[in-house]
This record gives sequence, structure tokens and C-alpha cells, in this order.
Amino acid sequence: MPDRRVAITGLGVISSAGVGIEPFWQSLVAGEPTIGPITLFDASHYPSSVAGEVRNFSARDYVPKHYRKAVKVMARDIELAVAAADRAFRDAGITTRGIDGEMDIDPKRLGCNVGAGLINCELDELSAAANSSMRDGQFDIKVWGREGINNLTPLWLLKYLPNMLSCHVTIIHGAEGPSNCITCGDASAHLSVGESAGYVTDDIVDVVIAGGAESKLNPLGLLRQALMNRLCTGPVDSNVCRPFDTEHCGTVLGEGGGLLVLENMDHATARNGRIYAEIIGSGAACDPAGINVTAPTVGNMHLAVANALADAGVSADDVDLIVAHGTGVAAEDDMEAEAWQKALGDRATQVLAFAVTGAIGSLFAGAGGAELAAAVMALHTQIVPPTCSFVGPADPCRLNLAAQPRRCDITTAVSCSFTVGGQSAAVVLKRVES
Amino acid sequence: MSKRRVVITGMGTINPLGHDVEATWAALLHGRSGITPIDIFDASTFPTTFAAQVKDFELADHIPDADRHEAAGRHAKFALAATRQAWTQSQLADWPELNLARVGIYLGCGEGRLDFEKLSNLVCLARINGKFDATQWFEMAWKTMEVHEEVEQESNMVAAHVAAELNICGPAFNVLTACAASTQAIGEATRKIRHRQADVVVTGGAHSMIHASGLTGFNRLTALSTRNDEIETASRPFDMTRDGFVLGEGASILIIEDYHQARSRGATILAEIIGYGASADAFRITDQDPEGYGAAIAMRAAMADAAVTPDMIDYISAHGTGTKQNDQVETLAVKSAFGEHAAKVPISSVKSMLGHLIAAAGATELITCILALRDQVLPPTAHYKVPDPDCDLDYIPNKPRKAKVDFAMSNSMGFGGQNNTLIVTHCR
Repeated sequence: MPDRRVAITGLGVISSAGVGIEPFWQSLVAGEPTIGPITLFDASHYPSSVAGEVRNFSARDYVPKHYRKAVKVMARDIELAVAAADRAFRDAGITTRGIDGEMDIDPKRLGCNVGAGLINCELDELSAAANSSMRDGQFDIKVWGREGINNLTPLWLLKYLPNMLSCHVTIIHGAEGPSNCITCGDASAHLSVGESAGYVTDDIVDVVIAGGAESKLNPLGLLRQALMNRLCTGPVDSNVCRPFDTEHCGTVLGEGGGLLVLENMDHATARNGRIYAEIIGSGAACDPAGINVTAPTVGNMHLAVANALADAGVSADDVDLIVAHGTGVAAEDDMEAEAWQKALGDRATQVLAFAVTGAIGSLFAGAGGAELAAAVMALHTQIVPPTCSFVGPADPCRLNLAAQPRRCDITTAVSCSFTVGGQSAAVVLKRVES
Repeated sequence: MSKRRVVITGMGTINPLGHDVEATWAALLHGRSGITPIDIFDASTFPTTFAAQVKDFELADHIPDADRHEAAGRHAKFALAATRQAWTQSQLADWPELNLARVGIYLGCGEGRLDFEKLSNLVCLARINGKFDATQWFEMAWKTMEVHEEVEQESNMVAAHVAAELNICGPAFNVLTACAASTQAIGEATRKIRHRQADVVVTGGAHSMIHASGLTGFNRLTALSTRNDEIETASRPFDMTRDGFVLGEGASILIIEDYHQARSRGATILAEIIGYGASADAFRITDQDPEGYGAAIAMRAAMADAAVTPDMIDYISAHGTGTKQNDQVETLAVKSAFGEHAAKVPISSVKSMLGHLIAAAGATELITCILALRDQVLPPTAHYKVPDPDCDLDYIPNKPRKAKVDFAMSNSMGFGGQNNTLIVTHCR
């Protein structure tokens, strides 16, 4: 049996640059950060008050009419995933149940794997519901259990289950194949894409939508990152997230993510689908020191990259492009740069590299989706975007980053991410000439 | 390259009926109920006041260096104890050729506990002019919230603790497909071994939703039994009088590895995983497909993967939650996937005794399938009294049954429509 190849035929990115791959790629190549003051809540007194926020967004615009009611039971993470899925399928030119018309692929062979994070409880909603359970200035669990709980919508819990990103996508688009939800922080989307590619090569699905989405852009999410000391608390401007730069001082929250349509190459060719690039390998690893959540880790990322290269059957010398995770947290950047060097040797400092966080902030479970979409676009257009807000490298960060877009002739790209908790994942992509 | 065979060489569990595999199995065969009044928090005024709690658990009784996991969530501590049991049984630590970079982790663990009372208190104190004020909240929360307690709620942290405990640096995953999570994790872990992406995987799941927000959420969904006056027998899967599931908690971990490796190192092989199937209902987030369409796809896919036919399956460990809808839908799904053999295959739900361990349910139930293969006895569906015309299959009521068991199937179905099925057999 011939090895099945995995084509990427659709990209759906949602970020502070906008909805869809076009605004994301355009602003990335232009080198314009889309980070600005947080407007979703009053963050002016928080340690960080800027973020890559998705503005003017209504999930209702991205679901079929009959499904609009369901938007009410979607946490923002879910809304973002649903919008990304809609854009991804449309970009792939695939008609699903959620896109007008008859489904033109086999629903049982359409899979879904959307990485997700811990969805944060909406505090204003909880506050309104819990307030009547206050007695003598204290929340009274007895009153809550007897009466207070009825103030919450019956479907309250379903807003916050991380598998609901995948579930809403499968329901909207009629995807009856395997459906999964990986929850490994920033590594989620790379892991999801790697696992999903395996479903294509194994011939379990023809098409699978994979990646991740998350929004920590809420009081609880912002507070947790501040408690971990991962946020840049410096000057309030759009250039605060500076991966690998001498001035890197922490990360900045973003929100959104990316979903990629992965497809059996033969299936894509047979329907004359546009093929952006090919996935040729994936790998993962973890770091036993990941339990020390206040100490930085990159999750033994060099092992993830090595595993991915071995899976792809390529060597470090074949790598032409590094898409770095680049959180902007100084110690993480340093460790990441070192990990690339461990994995690729001198090649790590020579090949072109970029990171997207300077433009859109940290997307957590959504990060890998945006990073992989950017890697795909770099291969497809042969343009390596600049690293926003990068001026000069911090001392140990010897990656070949630039402040300007660069034309290139590249074939093989590696993208990797890692997370608090110590998991890491890498995906190897290859150019497909049209 | 041909796919490798995948065998189980270690099992461990912490659950409401026991702190190890054998105690759990004995309790299940005696039809014991793990349900008691909730005493983890004050649930006395909730619509449901009982659950299947893990009792008298101290991590230090299970692992030597419990202190380094002090900040871990309750479910992560269950997982660590279960991992240690499974790892010890596998005897991999004594194998000189063990390469920890080829040992992976594939878990289906839930999120950690949110301190709901503390958070509710803060969000109510932070109201100005009748509205929640994010600034006021931040100023109070910043002083009282603790970093470890917050970060440990991320569901990937269980994998982090397991990696630390065993010093593993291979591929690590956590999936959280609600009530199907650990079945899905084991299925995906099986794929890792088959495809040579790891030689050993620590797999299974852990979860505890016996906390105020979990109980609030499930009570609002009216998914839980409210039989507060008959708590021991409140979990009644497939019975006409069933009125919802009973929250449980715990962890179950399996060590799975390449068959040839296990053979060559002289390991005791407990069973072989031969089939895995996954699907999505793609129906509604609030309801299962009423015909059990998606669940049947998963069962059929698992049988195709295992190259077995319905007549070969000797036992089905049902998802069997005890909600009106689930048990009826699962019955229809079994009929659809098994055809005329549906009436002949014995089915039981150990949730009648264990409660519903949510993300950890599937791994715990797979362990009971492996024990059924070993002892040639099927665990019962306890508290089964009144037959439901819509649930008309053989549910092994109330008493364990001696049976010839060569192939056992375990089903899990998550809220939102993710369905997963595993098939295990003796290793020959």
C-alpha cells in the first residue's frame, strides 16, 4: 500500500489581525503588530493592559442561521474556534453541512481535532448569579445549593467544557469521523495537527480539521498569567511583545487560533483542491521538570523537533525555515533558542526564522494553529514574514530573525511549541509547488 | 511498515470502591456501592447531596516522595498513585534497556478543582453599583489567589506530574473529551505504539468533579440522580426507575507497550488491545443522537479495527450512565452495531456501583474488562430491579456471572457527542 500524503488545503486563522487567513498574513508580512488596549473588560489597573484582542467579532456571522441560537452557550474560546472552522472549510473549497449546499465529502470520513485550554468562567455572569447567595458579606454555599444555582442558565456547564470547541464544529459541519480535543496548553494545536495527520496517513479519514483556539483574555486568564510572572508589565504600547529581542520582557495575551484543513493528497488532487503545503512529520516530547510551574520550561523541545525530523525522514540540513514559538518571556526565549540549536546544530542560527507573537500575542492552545498557518503561507508564497517588534537578538537567542519580510527559496519548515507543564510538539511541513 | 501489537502490562486504580485493582474488583463482584453523602464540601442543600467519593486517600501511602506533588490537584494525586501501581506491576523499572525518551504519556484527565466558593465570594464582593467590577475584583484576587492552585487547574498538569514521577521525556498528551476522555486516550495511545512513536505509553485518566461548580453544572443540566433518600442504590443504569447518573471520582492508569518488547523482556502480559473506534454524533451538544448512530459507528469501527465480528464479542462494558437518555440510546446503538447478536451479548454498567468517574470512567471500565478476561466472570449491573421496555438487552442484573470471555468491548460517550470504543482480548 502506498504511503498516503497529507495535504493542507484550507487555513482558518482568527486573531487580533482579523478573521481569516488574509488579514493575518497581510499584517504579519507588513510587520504591523495588532496589539492594543484591552477593551473586553477594564484592564487598566491590571499588570498588563494591552493584548491582541479580536475586535468587532460576532460568532453569529460564522454559523448557519439555524444554529445562531447555540451561540448563547458558547464561551468565547468556542466562538473563536467556530469562526476559524468556518473560514478554514471555505478556504479549502469544501462544502460541509455548515456551508450552504450539499456536503461534498463523506461525513464519516471527516475528522475533527481542536486543541483547547481551560475555559475560564465568565465572572460577571457568576457574580450576577451568586450575589443573591451572599449572607453577612460572605458567599453562603447552603443558599447557593438551595436557590442560587437556579440563577444560572441550565446549560451553564456546557459553555466551559473544552471538548465543546470540537463538538460545535462537528455539529455545525456534520463531521462524523473521529473527534478529539487535546488540552496541552500552548502545545495543543501542534499535537492536534500531528495526530490528525496520522488519521489521514492511516486512511481513517479523507479530511480532518485540526489546530486549536483559546482566549485567556478575561480577568481570570490575565490574572493567572500575571501570577506566573509571564506577562510583560513594561510600557503600554503595541510593541510590548518582543520575542528573542534584547528588550524581551514577557509575553502579551492574544486570543484566537488557527484551524487547518488536512486532506489526503489524492483526495485533494481528485477534487482539484488548492494544495498549500504538505505535512511530512510530527513529534512530541515532555519535560519531567514541568511540574515546577513557576520555573520556565520548553518541554525538552529539542526532542520534539528531533522526533518530528525523524518522522519526516529529513535531517537538520534539510530544514530551511524555523517557525519559533517565541513567547517573549525572556527565560523561555533563551531556552527555546538553545533547544533549536540542540536539535538542528549550527543550522539553527543560519536558516530563516520568525515568530508571530510580536504581532498577535500569545494564543495558548490556539498558538500552534496560527504558527502552522503562517509556516504554510511562508512555504506557499516564498516570503518569510518579519518578527514584529524584533530589533536585535538577546544574547543567547541566535536565531536568524529579521524586522523585514524576506523573499526566499525554501522547501522544508519546522514549527514547534511548548507549554507551561512541560509538553512540546513539532510539525514538519514541505512546500508543494503549484 | 506493519502495525505493532499492543499489550497491557500494568494497571492501577484509585476509585470510590478501592485503592487498588484487586480491592476494586472484589467490591464490584460483590455488588457494593461506593456512594455516600458528599463530605468534600457542603452539598447538603443541592438537589443532589451524594456522590461516589474516593475515601481515606493519602498520596504518601502510595509513593515515596509525595511532597514534591503537594500542589497537585486531587485528581492528579489519584493519578500518581494509580501510575505507581501500574508501573510497579509492569516491572519496567527493572528492565535495563528501558529508554525513557521512548516512554510516552497519553492521558484523558479532567481539569483541576476550581475553588468555587472562594471565587463566588470574590466576584460578589467585587460589585459596584450593582455590577461586577473587574478592577475591584483584581485588587482582591491578586492578594488571595495562589499561583499553583490556579495553574494546577489546567488539565495538562496531570501529565506533568506523571512525567516527573517516572522521569519520562517522551511524547505527552492530554485529551479532554468529557466522559469519553480516558477511553479515547487509551485508543490514541495504542496508535502511538502501533506506529512506533513510542515503545511504552502510560495511559488512562483521572478526574474529580465532586466540587461545587461540578455539582452545580450537572444539577443544572438535570443529569444527576436526585434520589437523596436512597443514595446507595441511586445509580440504576438500564433500570426503569433510573433518574440520572451519580458523580464519582478517581483515576485509572494502564501501562501499554509493544508486544514483542513485552515478550522479550519476560513481562506478564495482562491483555492485548486489538480494537479502537472513534466517531462524532454531530447532532446536538445537549442530546445524543436518539438512534445511537454515532455510538454505533464507533463500535463498528472498533470491531473492524480488531477484525472481529459481533458474534465474537463476549461482553460489553457499557457507558451506562443511568440517565434516561444515555441507556436507551446505547441500547439502540448496540442493536444497530450488533444486529441479531445484540440480544445475546451480556452488557453491564459498573457505574451502578462506582458512579461516573467522568474523564476517568473509560479507563476504569477497561480495567474491569481485562479482569473479566482473566477471571472469566462478568461484573453485574447493580440495583437493577424494574425492566425498561426501551432497554431490553441482557444487562447482567445484580449478580456477577461466570462466562467464557475471549473478547470484551468497552464503550464511552462524551457530552457533546464524542464516542469511543475499545476491544481487548487475551494475548496469545
